[in-house]
Amino acid sequence: MKTLTAALSAAALLALAGCGGGGSGSADEGPVDLRMTIWSANAKHLALFDQIAAGYKKDHPEVGKITFEPIPFDSYTTTLTTQIGGGNVPDLAWIFESSAPDFVSSGALEPIDKDADLVPSTTANWEKDGKLYAYPFSTSPLGVFVNTDLVKAAGRPAPAEQIAAGTWTWDEAAKTAAAVQARGGKGGLVVGDFDYKGWDTLNAVWAGWGARPWSEDGKTCQFDQPAMADAMTFLHKLVFTDKGMPGPGVTKDFFAGDSGMILTQISRAALLEKAKFKWDLVPLPKGPAGDYSVVGQAGIGVFKRGKHADAAKQFLAYFTNAENSAKLAQFFPPPRKSQLNAATLGKANPLLKPAQLDSVVVQGIERGTIKPSHTGYAEIQQTVRASLDRLWKPDADVKAVLAGVCSKINPLLAK
Amino acid sequence: MTLLLEKPARAPAMTDKAPYWTMRRRDELAGWLMVAPQLAGIVAFVIVPLGLVVWYSLHEWNVLAGSFTFIGADNYAALADDQQLGPVLRATGLFSAGLVVLNLSLALFLAVLLNQKLRGTVVFRTLFFSPVVVTLVAWTIVWGFLLQDNGGVNAFLDVLGIDGPNWLRSGGTAMASVIVVQLFKNVGLNMVLFLAALQGVPAELYEAARIDGASAWARFRRVTVPLISPTILLTMILTIVGSLQVFAQIAVLTQGGPGTSTTVLVYYLYQQAFQFHHFGYGATLSLLLFLIVLVLTVVQWRMRRRWVFHEN
Amino acid sequence: MKTRPGMSPRLKVLLYGVLLVCCVPFVFPIWWMATTSLKPLSEIFAFPPSPLPGSPTLDAYRQVFELQPFGRQYLNSLYIAAVVTLGTLAVSALAGYAFARIRFRGAGIVFMIVLTGLLVPNEVTIIPLYRMFDTLGLVDTHWPLILIPMLGAPSVLATFIMRQFFITLPAELEEAGRVDGLGRFGLFWRICLPLARPAVGAVAIFTFLHSWNLYLEPIVFLSSKSKFTIPQALTQYVDAYGGPMWNTQLAAATLSALPVLIIFVLAQRQFVEGLAQTGLKG
Repeated sequence: MKTLTAALSAAALLALAGCGGGGSGSADEGPVDLRMTIWSANAKHLALFDQIAAGYKKDHPEVGKITFEPIPFDSYTTTLTTQIGGGNVPDLAWIFESSAPDFVSSGALEPIDKDADLVPSTTANWEKDGKLYAYPFSTSPLGVFVNTDLVKAAGRPAPAEQIAAGTWTWDEAAKTAAAVQARGGKGGLVVGDFDYKGWDTLNAVWAGWGARPWSEDGKTCQFDQPAMADAMTFLHKLVFTDKGMPGPGVTKDFFAGDSGMILTQISRAALLEKAKFKWDLVPLPKGPAGDYSVVGQAGIGVFKRGKHADAAKQFLAYFTNAENSAKLAQFFPPPRKSQLNAATLGKANPLLKPAQLDSVVVQGIERGTIKPSHTGYAEIQQTVRASLDRLWKPDADVKAVLAGVCSKINPLLAK
Repeated sequence: MTLLLEKPARAPAMTDKAPYWTMRRRDELAGWLMVAPQLAGIVAFVIVPLGLVVWYSLHEWNVLAGSFTFIGADNYAALADDQQLGPVLRATGLFSAGLVVLNLSLALFLAVLLNQKLRGTVVFRTLFFSPVVVTLVAWTIVWGFLLQDNGGVNAFLDVLGIDGPNWLRSGGTAMASVIVVQLFKNVGLNMVLFLAALQGVPAELYEAARIDGASAWARFRRVTVPLISPTILLTMILTIVGSLQVFAQIAVLTQGGPGTSTTVLVYYLYQQAFQFHHFGYGATLSLLLFLIVLVLTVVQWRMRRRWVFHEN
Repeated sequence: MKTRPGMSPRLKVLLYGVLLVCCVPFVFPIWWMATTSLKPLSEIFAFPPSPLPGSPTLDAYRQVFELQPFGRQYLNSLYIAAVVTLGTLAVSALAGYAFARIRFRGAGIVFMIVLTGLLVPNEVTIIPLYRMFDTLGLVDTHWPLILIPMLGAPSVLATFIMRQFFITLPAELEEAGRVDGLGRFGLFWRICLPLARPAVGAVAIFTFLHSWNLYLEPIVFLSSKSKFTIPQALTQYVDAYGGPMWNTQLAAATLSALPVLIIFVLAQRQFVEGLAQTGLKG
């Protein structure tokens, strides 16, 4: 029975360690090492971050290592919370816009200084009680990339011409998409990262109908409202009747030249570097509710329970100051007024023409709305995904499915 | 745990009689020393963590806020009220039952085929076993491609003139797909175990049955199956336990959808704990999973006396 | 079975036919993975998919190594699996021998405690394990990936197989050893272990494959790219927005599978027969 006693005392010891809550918070004497979790594994991104970190260390001899720790995109929040739960709290972390309310409201983040240069619309998602809890380092408008070769071959006017003529609407975009797809083998319009699972990316479409998934205060579901029903009916028709959007389970990679248009973040322009087709970038088509634009965001926050919260705050301020922000702008559109002009952005995005930058990026960020978010987002996301699956069938009853979504998520929204 | 009732079959006679009590003592010490690393490992990496999970299950644990509040049995009450749990358990049962039945029958079928007097069975054996050595994630990613609506499987069916379904996107076929992907990945392992058992069946028994005029099927039923029943039991337990732990495949292929049709218990507890941040509730679900595995294993082990044939 | 008179040619053709058809779902995915990794991105989603790349390219393979220290990650996976295999063999052979052949007080309860390891999925204990290793300062090292499989739940199956094997050895063997003056460890090392080659083979295969396939633990415990293992590295071939880089992913998957497949084909006799002779008698 000796082992049993030993096991029990070990258990007790570990339980103590287990519920003590991680993060000792003691800033010891040694060099200050900082760690930032990120979801990009892109070598160019990492090289730039390392370069900025090296610049910082020159003036801050007390700082030892600054590591940027890439975590796979799909398991990012999961891994991050496991680390936090396990007591290994990173000093800084990238945060998805959809998890922003969870992180901001939990009190896990340290408030940071708000630069007056920041465009107000970009910080709204990251504030609570007038304090800013994360820096929105990437504010990337959504636009439509067009494979003009495919559109032309399908006998449709290029979207740029339609913009000039004032006829770039969702109905026209749907016609173009259907025409491209009808020629066989190619997809019409793809909504980036949607894949019939990430329904929240559809926000960039239904915002054109003035639809929202839930009310501004986040208390009531609005999937069953007429605007949403119209928008979803449009999408359902586009997929199953007009056949302008590759159906569920079908992949058509725009960047490989397999589809006519893709609605996605403009930063993906980088993937077109070696494209063998002619392409263009245009703003989102006009919806029944008029012109609109949507931006996708990501923030960087400092953890209160990290070992060196103060040092982390200082580093974040340096990492995102005007000078470095300009460098970061080549990958992540900046939230700063002073840098939101075609000239600055053009240097960083050589693939995009000034007109494209101005119409999509500058105006997009200034007017853009962001994707609605909510505390407990992951659970709501999953629940909506599960109920919406019934919509992606040819004979679906759109209104009934949407009403079903509401009955499922209303209890979650009320929490 | 009735596993323990089974005593070491033929323990050395000398220890039994143990003329010198010092020898017995030395054996005692040697026994403890030999199991010590394993025991220490199990205590440190299984028993203690399991105890901690029980402890967590009595708490509301918000990882982000760093709050850890004792809430007694609330998580267990939530378990009873959880409307999701019914469908989740049904999906789990469907997956495990489907996988076990298909896996064991296919493994046995292939093993019997390979046990025939044919040239080239080594080649086939290698081919059937090869997915076992492919990294699970790679295997799953590849099947994810193949099972797309415009993927390889449907292209293949197209050649045969069959219009394939949208495998991963409709309730029934999604579950079937996940089962089949797992089936082909691991069936080779059970096949080899069966092959070994088959080769251990004495040829004279078949001859005797043949002389008695038994048909091939009757010989299989009455001679082969009883003789290899211990292997059937072992592969069954391993496959059931394994099927209840399937995770990466679901995460890569369906993420529990469409609807919640492929949300099995492991995946559900992963969602609750890691995605929705309900660690306390996730811990409660893990205990439920542990209990299910435990009960199933014990039941099978108890039932073995009814149908497992023992040589002596 | 082998004594049966030769079967009719018609039956033979039928059997070969059945075997060939059965092969398809096992071979097709591997073959498809290898050929698709040679296709340029534009061909990957062509429908119907072409059986062979139209214009084969090694671009994807170059990217595999450019984007990550893939060679290093490969070595990580290999050496972790090797260490775990050796360690598990030592731990499980000793424990399996003791459970099978030594009657010591408490053996029953100890065996029961050990067997619970067979029943606990790793998702269940991952958070407490993470806390423990973090307390020891061993997060982002290979220690958790070595220690947990070697001593924890995954090693129980190995101990079980070893025990089942040692039980089948006749008692006379050890009696002879005793007469020669061997102690327990001597009996184990000199007499029983050399006979246990098939069981050792089976345990080695099970253990190696388990470690090689480990997915959840590396993702949770490791964070530096140079320490990643293969399954984890495979999921890292994505662009900055999590969009998978299809052909690179497939090229990496092929690289991760082919060498192991080749080793397996060469050594398959030992592999399969070792597994076959474990005396797994339930």
